[in-house]
Amino acid sequence: MSVDSFRDYLDSLEETGWTRTVEQPVSWDLEASAVTMLANLRDGPIPVFESIAGLETETTLVGDPYRGPRARPWEHFARALGFSDGLSGRTYYDRVIDRLHTPTEPRVVDQRDAPCKTTIRTGDDVDLLSFPWPYIHEGDGGRYSNLHTIVAPDPDTEWGRWSSHRMMLHDDSQASLLLLAGEQVPNRYYYDYEPRDEPMPIAVVVGAEPTVECTADMWIPTGRSEAAFAGGLKDAPVDLVECETSDLYVPATAELVLEGHVRPGDRLDEGPFGDYFGYMNGPRRSMPVFEVDAITHRQEPRLPFCVEGTGVGYGQNSSSTLRVAAAGPDATVGLRAAGFDVELAVPWRFTSRTVWVISTERPYPGYLHELANFIFTTWGMLHIDFFVFVDPDVDPLDPRAVLSAIALDADPDADFHQFGVERMPKVPLNIYQTPDEKGSADVGTSKAKTAKAYIDATTDGDPVESTAAAETRKRAQERLVEAGLDPAQFDRLDEREGESR
Amino acid sequence: MIPFAQYVHGLAGDDDLVSLDGPFDVPVDVLAGEALRASGPALRFDRPDGIDLASGVFSGADLMQRRDARPWSRLSLGLGLDPEATLVALLETISDLGPVGGHPEPTYTGQSASGTDADVQDLGFPQGEHDTWPVMTLGIASVSTADGTHWAPIHGSVVSGDKLRVRVPDALPSLVSEGATITIALGVPPAAITTAYLLTVTERVDTPIQSCGVAGTVPLVPTNGGLVPSTTEVVVEATIADRQPDFRSDRREAWEYVVESGALSLSVERVLATDEPVVPVSPVGRPLADDLQLTGLTTAAALYHRVNNYWGISPVEWLLVPAEAELGICVVASDILYAGFEWQLANILFSFSSLFDTVVVVDEDVPPHDFGRVLADIWLKAHPARDWTFSDPDAPAATRPRYRRDGETGSRLYVNAAWDPRWEDTYIAPRVTFENSFPSVVRDTAQALWAEYDAN
Repeated sequence: MSVDSFRDYLDSLEETGWTRTVEQPVSWDLEASAVTMLANLRDGPIPVFESIAGLETETTLVGDPYRGPRARPWEHFARALGFSDGLSGRTYYDRVIDRLHTPTEPRVVDQRDAPCKTTIRTGDDVDLLSFPWPYIHEGDGGRYSNLHTIVAPDPDTEWGRWSSHRMMLHDDSQASLLLLAGEQVPNRYYYDYEPRDEPMPIAVVVGAEPTVECTADMWIPTGRSEAAFAGGLKDAPVDLVECETSDLYVPATAELVLEGHVRPGDRLDEGPFGDYFGYMNGPRRSMPVFEVDAITHRQEPRLPFCVEGTGVGYGQNSSSTLRVAAAGPDATVGLRAAGFDVELAVPWRFTSRTVWVISTERPYPGYLHELANFIFTTWGMLHIDFFVFVDPDVDPLDPRAVLSAIALDADPDADFHQFGVERMPKVPLNIYQTPDEKGSADVGTSKAKTAKAYIDATTDGDPVESTAAAETRKRAQERLVEAGLDPAQFDRLDEREGESR
Repeated sequence: MIPFAQYVHGLAGDDDLVSLDGPFDVPVDVLAGEALRASGPALRFDRPDGIDLASGVFSGADLMQRRDARPWSRLSLGLGLDPEATLVALLETISDLGPVGGHPEPTYTGQSASGTDADVQDLGFPQGEHDTWPVMTLGIASVSTADGTHWAPIHGSVVSGDKLRVRVPDALPSLVSEGATITIALGVPPAAITTAYLLTVTERVDTPIQSCGVAGTVPLVPTNGGLVPSTTEVVVEATIADRQPDFRSDRREAWEYVVESGALSLSVERVLATDEPVVPVSPVGRPLADDLQLTGLTTAAALYHRVNNYWGISPVEWLLVPAEAELGICVVASDILYAGFEWQLANILFSFSSLFDTVVVVDEDVPPHDFGRVLADIWLKAHPARDWTFSDPDAPAATRPRYRRDGETGSRLYVNAAWDPRWEDTYIAPRVTFENSFPSVVRDTAQALWAEYDAN
């Protein structure tokens, strides 16, 4: 059975020894994130900071709670979704995909039944800075909330649009939101609300239940409801409750909800920030202002945050784990729904936003170009620069197999394809453009366009030097485990049938 | 110099080797391949009815996963280095085993392998799932000429009790005539097999080992073929019966992607073995196999040495031809001396090696054991249009990749994942690291806190 709330999720982690409570007072000013970074770097337990130095608060900070184990990043989510322990990545993807095929409509609950309404503050009682929002990296533009779900209005769905955009705190009631044009919620603000000089209601949901967090990280098509997909993923309805100051609905078991509106025509500084690329991104930009009208929360709220920048290279953090554990299965579903015969679509483990690996059949000439074009012009255009296509029998969750395919099967002469040179939009968070190229455009895209490319690392139908038969490999792995080797390292011990290399 | 048996014993002492008792219902090469794929320890196959086998001893942890141990720690140990030795220390040690320009004084001692066994089949070489005959891998061929002894890698099949079909670099049989004697040494010190690979990938098989650093490192003993390490576990003395047998090997060791190789038919004259022999085996053709690692590291050592003696200075920090990419990519970390230097560097490497068509250039501060950062920087620091640079399609095809085997020319690619030296420092984004992202007082507090809670 899936967990119903963020704190149930934390309890499940505690049961398996994956959390560690830090009782000693820790400052929100870099200390909590420094400890979290150590935990991320060392693949250690998730730190729960019970006491915040210098602040009278009942709020608990939780550092990178969604980070999965380095060898099996999906493992905590698998547990949260009620799957059996020890699933391989491929089986985890299969199970999540199954659930995404059966969306379940949410259930609206009364305010009295919504834990997130235990405390309600409006008007002069709103005090954003009474919570210990962390200052995450030295050099950041300010304190951030960066692990939350934003709920925004959507004319096509009943329950609004869910997404994720980081937020820099400014004072008791104001924050700047990183709204980058090209994504659905920012587009709606820049090209709909703001031209009409109309404030856009928004709720920032902090500490939502895991399926909500997953769904906010997915590319749910317009006209479809994230709330229903979250229910499908959970295999039970997600409870929603109406906001106090708008007609938006928010997940009822959330730890903390900030209700407010984005002011039209108004900007505040945002950034720089040590971002998911693993580098400190500048320059400081002007971004839309989020004015907080109400704060509701549970008793002793748990406030999660992500130490961005630690999810590149070998490292995992919440955002890199969400890519692999949520966005990957969703993208696989999306591509299949669009008619592409895709086996799996998986973010490249070492830089999960800019490169994706897709294992796929290639039924006709030009298919890969068509597939790449579809993705780049729909959900992949701002963040993703590269796709790597591999044969269906290459496991995209196995980075060594993918690297081998690139090295041995991608001919520099014939298999690297660019979509025109520097014709595509790009978020300004990358590091290969100069600050001048990134610019500080009002709507947050790069001043300069960029290039997109794909690599055809399929074998063109040529036979690949085979290893051993799948059954022989499985017997070998069983023998090695009997001898004392770690079973988690062996892909063939999973129940999924398959013929991956 | 560490004898092979002692080396294997040492790996077990370091908990980096697991013993498996026979009989084995799964082919040894499949067990060995799966252990390597899982980044597991080296394996020893204990077999009462034949020689013991050891796999993964020249390999190491997969670079794609963060490990406490250095990925090349096993070979470092085998060559007498600290297991925590840097990659550069290992590359330099490997280079020192090769031609030295002088004549090191060899040490001669008695032969450890004294027991005789007339029938090579009695040794019980393993047979893979798809092999017709039992196979021997990771051997050294030793032949003698007027100039001295010559070593090269050898592998092959046991066709009968006194007949072997083997593959060696083409340069080796050209040194001797048909009917000449040849010795196969199995279970030699890591320094010896590394030398054989180094001489092969640098196309210096014609250099006698008496002119190589290994002669001053490894005690030697004469055989009917040529000198072999005195601690060799199994010595097979043979004559070359046929220089062009009608024979196609089931397997291809990784060094065969670097140099031309050919088949020989050998008549076995004598087999010597130690009391409890143990010999290395490689799961040839499987990911991260020992022969792949030896070829990658010796090629890297040769390239590192050449590029750092090319410009009068040594700008290259390290260089890898990773087995994880099955030798199809070269990664080099370098100081980018001036704009366009990365182009020069990539093209020099293409000139010095025909293995790969792709070179990745990363900044000098990227450590080689943090390969995860390399695998991130390729996509983060290299502009998709400007930093993926393809040559005109006039280059010969590289030998390792599977594409373009029709003799047609094609392009080469280098990926410039290093900062552009023309950029001002303010353009360069600082990395998010524990050291960069927190002042020292916060780092100290965090480390103390984490040490306390992680221990609980």
